[in-house]
Amino acid sequence: MAENTIERIEEKKDKIIAKNIRRVYQIKATENNAGHEFEAIKELNLVVKQGELLAIVGPSGCGKSTFLDMLAGLEKPTSGEIFMDDKKITGPALDRGIVLQGYALFPWRTVRKNVEFGLEIKKIPEKERYAISERYIDLVGLSKFADRYPYELSGGMKQRVAIARALAYDPDVLLMDEPFAAVDAQTRESLQEELLRIWEKTKKTIVFVTHGIDEAVFLADRVAVMTANPGTVKEIVTIDLPRPRDGIRSSAEFGWVRHKIWQLLQNDTESAVKEGIGNTDVAGSIAPTASL
Amino acid sequence: MERINKIKVKILPYIGIFCFLNLWEILPRLGVVDAQFLPPFSTVCLAIQTLWQDGILYTNTIISLWRVLIGLLLAIFIAVPLGFFLEVFSPEISKRLDGLFNLLSHVNPFSLAPLFILLFGIGEKEKLAIISLSAVWPILFHTITGIRSVNPILIKTGRSMNISTGVLIKDILFPGALPIIITGIRLGVQMSMFMLIAAEMMGAGAGLGWLVHNSAMVYQIPRLYAGGVFIILLGMSLNKIILWFQTYSWFWQERTGVAEQTHIKRRHKQVSSVAVFCFMFIFSGVLFFGGNEVHKINTQVRTLPMNHDMHQHSAGMEKGAETTEPQKAYVPNFKADEDKHK
Repeated sequence: MAENTIERIEEKKDKIIAKNIRRVYQIKATENNAGHEFEAIKELNLVVKQGELLAIVGPSGCGKSTFLDMLAGLEKPTSGEIFMDDKKITGPALDRGIVLQGYALFPWRTVRKNVEFGLEIKKIPEKERYAISERYIDLVGLSKFADRYPYELSGGMKQRVAIARALAYDPDVLLMDEPFAAVDAQTRESLQEELLRIWEKTKKTIVFVTHGIDEAVFLADRVAVMTANPGTVKEIVTIDLPRPRDGIRSSAEFGWVRHKIWQLLQNDTESAVKEGIGNTDVAGSIAPTASL
Repeated sequence: MERINKIKVKILPYIGIFCFLNLWEILPRLGVVDAQFLPPFSTVCLAIQTLWQDGILYTNTIISLWRVLIGLLLAIFIAVPLGFFLEVFSPEISKRLDGLFNLLSHVNPFSLAPLFILLFGIGEKEKLAIISLSAVWPILFHTITGIRSVNPILIKTGRSMNISTGVLIKDILFPGALPIIITGIRLGVQMSMFMLIAAEMMGAGAGLGWLVHNSAMVYQIPRLYAGGVFIILLGMSLNKIILWFQTYSWFWQERTGVAEQTHIKRRHKQVSSVAVFCFMFIFSGVLFFGGNEVHKINTQVRTLPMNHDMHQHSAGMEKGAETTEPQKAYVPNFKADEDKHK
């Protein structure tokens, strides 16, 4: 079972390839400090497969959001290249949809008009726009709220609208930057389940940045663990938990994988943790030492 | 019980005004203050009525209104695009100009009046320039502040969709900054009202400022107060209209804190088209009739360059009974007014 999952992912086409990404910030000189360079991201290599849900976890300040911005084309790496479908990413485009942390809805537009925003950019005629927005509002279960304004919605609903808006213009890849960080725990869990449902329906490639290990393990096919100073991908953990994953949170396997990623994040220097963990069977290698 | 409470809350803010007007009425009548310099409020009301019946009030109000609106439109058309241009295309330059704008906004345009007179001569252009200049700074300042206060996440979302600068301005920056721009316009109206009255007092042939100034010159004290009251009313109603626009432009704002707890009902979501139509109707009416009156006044000034202060509105004033010979008859005239109101 586990082997199969791994193979399935490995076999898939490479969607996004990031090669040797480096990002340097110039810190301006102040009275106390001389100006120097700050290396936020160093030697970051990552491959995102077609149709997979890849989560990126890491401590704050490890550059995971910056990396996502690079994927979106909003930031440029100091050196290194990112390819999507063998084409270099040079700027933002509608083939990548983005869902940001916080409520990025246009407050003066109704739910429907928010969802239609990208379609307006694409210059899709009004009638078609209406049909498409109707479909995606329905997909996130907000049909009753189509003509409401964001101030009338709860936090969870707003994020669903943001997802619908990003999906509506039909991008190949959905980039999500800690999208559920601002909602309460229960809403977050239901949003995660909803995201999986939407993902299975739409078959999009999703890159999901988060600092919640639970969230990453619950959602992802693979989890890229990043470390800070300088930010780089330390390990890619394949999550071979069976899908659908409803109610899997309480299972022992879930706990093991979660613990493994937690340990990876805890201590970079602990070589013991690094030992014997590759892209192989995670649960197997962790099981003897895990005490959860 | 709740209804009584509601009425109480509604009346509460006006109690101060009510007391003030009562004192204004009573004190001169009791002789505590000199009724010659502060006629009772009822006398002022009667003066307003007379002025209204003679059409003087209408002419001068609409002329003042026309000047404010034209001046304001000019200011908006200069300041808002300039603000957007600076913030969108050259934010670095905009940052460096902050201090300069701050300084310029403290320049009293009226102190530059002699310069304007040199440039434009005494006339409409000079007045409009003073009004516009006083309104430009608050509007420009608030446009820039408004654009800067637009939630950066919204701009990022827009940029991720690779939108053009035009769409960025039209669909994100402008709607986001609009409420604050309207705040700027409101301040601009206040400033330009003050400046307008002053500009009309020095060398104009008509307008509410001229009415007040002229009344003082011919010792028509109730009329002076009547003009003053009308200036206040005009300023307040302009402010109210813009405030109304502002509430509507903020309709999408998340209410937090006190406003949420006081159960203030949210207004209608967007301006109804009827209201917009009415507003446009009144607005164009003022522009048209005001323009007409201003044109009349200016041609009159040109044909009667001498003594225009005295003869300008002679037709209107003669109707107002004992006002034909203002210079000679100012004291008796005032007494006659008093008698009439008793």
